[in-house]
Amino acid sequence: MSDADADRIEGYAGALLAVAKGEGVVDRASDELFTFAREYERNHQLRSTMTDQQVAVEVRQGIIEELLGTRASPLSATLAGLIVGTGRARDLVAIVDRFVAMAAAERQREVAEIRSSVPLDRAQQERLAQALSSALKKQVEVKVVVDPAVMGGVVATVGDTVIDGSVRHRLEKLREVL
Amino acid sequence: MLYSLILAAQEHAPEAGEAAASNPILPEANEIIWGALSFLVLLVLITKVAFPLLKKGMDGRTERIRATLAEADQAKDEAQAVLSEYRGQLADAKGEATRIIEEARQAADKIRQDLRRQAEAEVAEVKQRAQDDIAAMATRTMGDLRAQVSLLAIELAEKVVEKNLDAETNRQLIDRFIQQVGSDS
Repeated sequence: MSDADADRIEGYAGALLAVAKGEGVVDRASDELFTFAREYERNHQLRSTMTDQQVAVEVRQGIIEELLGTRASPLSATLAGLIVGTGRARDLVAIVDRFVAMAAAERQREVAEIRSSVPLDRAQQERLAQALSSALKKQVEVKVVVDPAVMGGVVATVGDTVIDGSVRHRLEKLREVL
Repeated sequence: MLYSLILAAQEHAPEAGEAAASNPILPEANEIIWGALSFLVLLVLITKVAFPLLKKGMDGRTERIRATLAEADQAKDEAQAVLSEYRGQLADAKGEATRIIEEARQAADKIRQDLRRQAEAEVAEVKQRAQDDIAAMATRTMGDLRAQVSLLAIELAEKVVEKNLDAETNRQLIDRFIQQVGSDS
């Protein structure tokens, strides 16, 4: 990524954070957009459609609002639609991740992406956040991504640090041994 | 003087004829004189003129014959020398030919031995390469087989895990992960 791209992503993420702070829904927007970004990341067809210049911007924004309308707040849908509407659909994941990181940094925290095959309840998320904060000597807040490919257990990613406790990882290690 | 002698002989010729008539065997005195004179003249001529000329001619011829003989001897010696030289060269040529033949034979032997060694080395190399290929193929086949078996085992394990990993087991795995991360601090 070039410096210009990084600056542009930083600018968009800052704008999202300013709007969310203005509306007082930083945490919720952060959670919803993070979840949407993971979906967006996995769904190749959605990415292709959102980056297709042959598809009208209004149509693409309509798809975004339809997808998030029932699962997220109107503000989150608007922010996602704003990114697509300005032609930055290709950078959507990076912008959202940066927005989530900036939101966490506002609270002196760092984002820990947790991949699990099943959703984690609130108590598990809190215990996991405490354990990771203790292990990494920094305050973290967890963002859970449901990923069936994990099979079982969890994969925690904090910055460049990856702690893999998934069944998939154990099977991969077993494959290497064999 | 000769003319005087002739005249004197003619004057005394009848007396001589008389004496001769008296002795049929003995020639006339003038004949004897003329004969003696002629003999003397001839003897002087032969001694003073003919004999030196003849001797000179004979000496010259003898000298020429001697020179010719000397030249012949020299030519013979030269021919002998040339013959000896030719014989020497012939002997050298024979020796050289023998040496060349011997060298050629040795070279042929060496080439034959080199070719044999080279052929043996190539055969050994081909044999070794074939053995290596077979070993590599066996190793590769074993590796592929092992990989296939591993893949099947992993796929089977995945299916078993997917089938048996219920919510409770998954929760236990997550709790264990949380405890492990917490204990690492």
